[in-house]
Amino acid sequence: MTRSTLMAAALAATTALVTPVAAQERGGTMNFARYDGSRLIDPIYADRNPDIWMVGSLFDTLLRSSDDGKSIVGGLAESFEVSEDGKTVTLMLQSGLKFADGSALEADDVLFSLDRARNGDLGPWSGMLGSVSDVTADGNTITVSLSQPDPTILSMLATFNTAIVNKDVFEAAEGATDQEKSAAIFAAGGAGVGSGAFYMCGFEQGASMDFCANEHHWEMGADGKPLPYLDKVHFEIIPDDATRILKLQAGEVDAVEFVPFSRVAELDADPAINMNLYPSTRIIYSPINTRETRADGSANPLNDVRVRQAINYATNKDALIGLVLQGAGQPMTAPLMSSSTRLASKLDLYSYDMDKAMALVKEAGIEPGTKVTLTTLAGSADDSTIFAALQQMWAPLGIELVVEQVDGPTRSAKNRSGEFDIHTYGWVDDVNDPSQVTGWLGYSPIRSAVGTGWESDKFNALFEASGKEMDQAARAQQYADMQTIYTDAAPLLFMYETPFAVAVSTAVDGYVQTPLGANIFSRATVSK
Amino acid sequence: MAGLQYVLKRLALMVPTFVLVMIIIFLLVRLLPGDPAIAIAGDKASDADLAAIREKLGLNDPLLVQFWLFFTNTLQGDLGRSIMMRTSVSSVILERLPTTGFLALFAVSLSLLIAGPLAFVAALNRGKWPDTVIRTVFQVGLSMPVFYIGLILLTFLAAQLRWFPVGGSGDGFFGQLYYLFLPSMTVALYTSAIIMRNLRASIIEVLDAEYVQFARAKGLPNRLILGRHVLRNALISTITLLGLSIGNLMSGTLVTETVFAVPGLGRLMLEAIFARDYPLIQGLTLTFAILVSIVFLLTDLFQSLLDPRMRLT
Repeated sequence: MTRSTLMAAALAATTALVTPVAAQERGGTMNFARYDGSRLIDPIYADRNPDIWMVGSLFDTLLRSSDDGKSIVGGLAESFEVSEDGKTVTLMLQSGLKFADGSALEADDVLFSLDRARNGDLGPWSGMLGSVSDVTADGNTITVSLSQPDPTILSMLATFNTAIVNKDVFEAAEGATDQEKSAAIFAAGGAGVGSGAFYMCGFEQGASMDFCANEHHWEMGADGKPLPYLDKVHFEIIPDDATRILKLQAGEVDAVEFVPFSRVAELDADPAINMNLYPSTRIIYSPINTRETRADGSANPLNDVRVRQAINYATNKDALIGLVLQGAGQPMTAPLMSSSTRLASKLDLYSYDMDKAMALVKEAGIEPGTKVTLTTLAGSADDSTIFAALQQMWAPLGIELVVEQVDGPTRSAKNRSGEFDIHTYGWVDDVNDPSQVTGWLGYSPIRSAVGTGWESDKFNALFEASGKEMDQAARAQQYADMQTIYTDAAPLLFMYETPFAVAVSTAVDGYVQTPLGANIFSRATVSK
Repeated sequence: MAGLQYVLKRLALMVPTFVLVMIIIFLLVRLLPGDPAIAIAGDKASDADLAAIREKLGLNDPLLVQFWLFFTNTLQGDLGRSIMMRTSVSSVILERLPTTGFLALFAVSLSLLIAGPLAFVAALNRGKWPDTVIRTVFQVGLSMPVFYIGLILLTFLAAQLRWFPVGGSGDGFFGQLYYLFLPSMTVALYTSAIIMRNLRASIIEVLDAEYVQFARAKGLPNRLILGRHVLRNALISTITLLGLSIGNLMSGTLVTETVFAVPGLGRLMLEAIFARDYPLIQGLTLTFAILVSIVFLLTDLFQSLLDPRMRLT
């Protein structure tokens, strides 16, 4: 067992990489146009990306993911250590920590927050701390005891659901249950509940939200004063893509997220705008129903692995990327995750090869005119383009692709019930560890391997073993093996990875969206 | 007295209408594929989590039990709790209602301001170039989708010329007037095209009527003839059309409020549908039904004021 101790120096070094040396301009408001609004920003209840991606601005975690998402660094804890048997994590809290209202952040708050996070009766993320048997404190030293070695525990302590909340504020809040208290605290806003770089100082459901600077924040800027540099971030909720972009072009907002890729080149050419494509863990793929029969009892041609492999070979990913993303993406190379996720393999993942595809369908005995249905999201221009392209690409195989357009909730219901042939889908990691996405896509006890019905005992055994494997090399090998098995079985149509497209005014500097999607405003500045 | 009785009778007739609306919308939202529990917990939730949420929301109860609960609670003024907003449906609707109400009234006012004078100009110049120009321009407006008109106005008047803000709803009366001008104008351009065509045809018809010819023969001033005899009579059918247009306008807010980022009831309805937020969809539909019924009642009252032949019975 490797003993790992990473001190605050590691954090300082990481911070230095992204912090400009020059003194920063302080003050001002950054106006940010979002595609959807937050509904409840509480570490343990945040379950939608518009909530999850904002948790880090209001709450701090004991540990953090590095900016490139590849490693774990200190947060509220200035140092941390995993015992040799892998069953204890010891963390040392920084001294003098405060919540945004100036009250002290102490070990009691950490215990309260971690107990809340692992309470199975509360939020949906408690399973991520399933290995934690006890959390205790002695002064500023926090000890997390595990029932079994857990290679993901450091990542989990750097994940939004383990962020620290103010015990006193929570206990004093109105409401009979934890959920009611949480909702009451969120509705009231204010500085007391978190220690993040900001606190929520304004909220109008579905319309706008304001974050104000936390003057007690522990993290220092390049000028030696507490971050953030901004006084305030004002969010406006603008679901329509075209309107969001017009707002930026009119100078009414400083940044817009989720720029459609068809508009990236146009905004990139605008001298007043910086068009940023942040690396992400976002993958676009299509689950394939691998069951022997369809939900209506008819024979399922996609049950044959050769047919699944054939449609993967016949899919020209570069062409799709050109059509849908205007080139702003790359084909998936790791079958279970984005290539920016830790432990991702770099594989030749069904490069376009019509000869192989034709040979495979011939071998499988596919009759010309075999109907396959692609379920897409109604109103999605991207999905329409994908369908039109795949219909052309797969026609030579004898596959007649037909489309079924549904809305998001219907697609989700179909995925769960297995009432589909293939459907479009996407994923962004919530955790800085590949276990989440691997469990989602391949481990059959969790949601039937993303609804595909695919099941491999060998894969499942490897996944279960990797959940206890503390030797990093051995764990990496387990992940490599799982990716090989998954590639051969092809329960997905492997498509592409996309960046996060965020357009910002040239007046803005220092804003970052991490590969996990979190919006980082703490080092952002706006020129006056 | 007869008027009051008529209003009370009409209000009483609204009750079965609302009950019918409640039954239809209750059944319709449950016929939609998709599970509210998934909308709450997300795709990643386990089956056990979803089952727990369904139980908590009462979705496992028989439909009759669910409807009875919805019906009796609504009668007591309780529309339930929004699934996605985690707060009471009534408070969310009351929060958004003023914005949509302002938008609708502003749009109707602009429609009348545009359509009224132009209909007169067109009718009084029947067959001449002003009539042709006005009708052609409005025909183009009528044939364009509302969202497209909105985007054109946004691009030129807001993003390029920067005369108006791109989106939002503004604060206070003058703030709302400024922020909601473009969305109101978008709706008004479409509605005024319909009203203008109808009003022009009515004016032409009334101008040819014998009582107008008689008034002219009596030597009454033209202004008096147009104001007292022509406009008043021509407005009768237009008022009906205006009432119907306001009904359509309510559904049009779904598009307009989304394009212009106006946080009103229309945008809320769209969000509620995508989130399968049953209580919110039901509450919003009932609100729209009440608003439209009130508009129709007001339309009838106005008509009776304009035309004494339409007795309030």
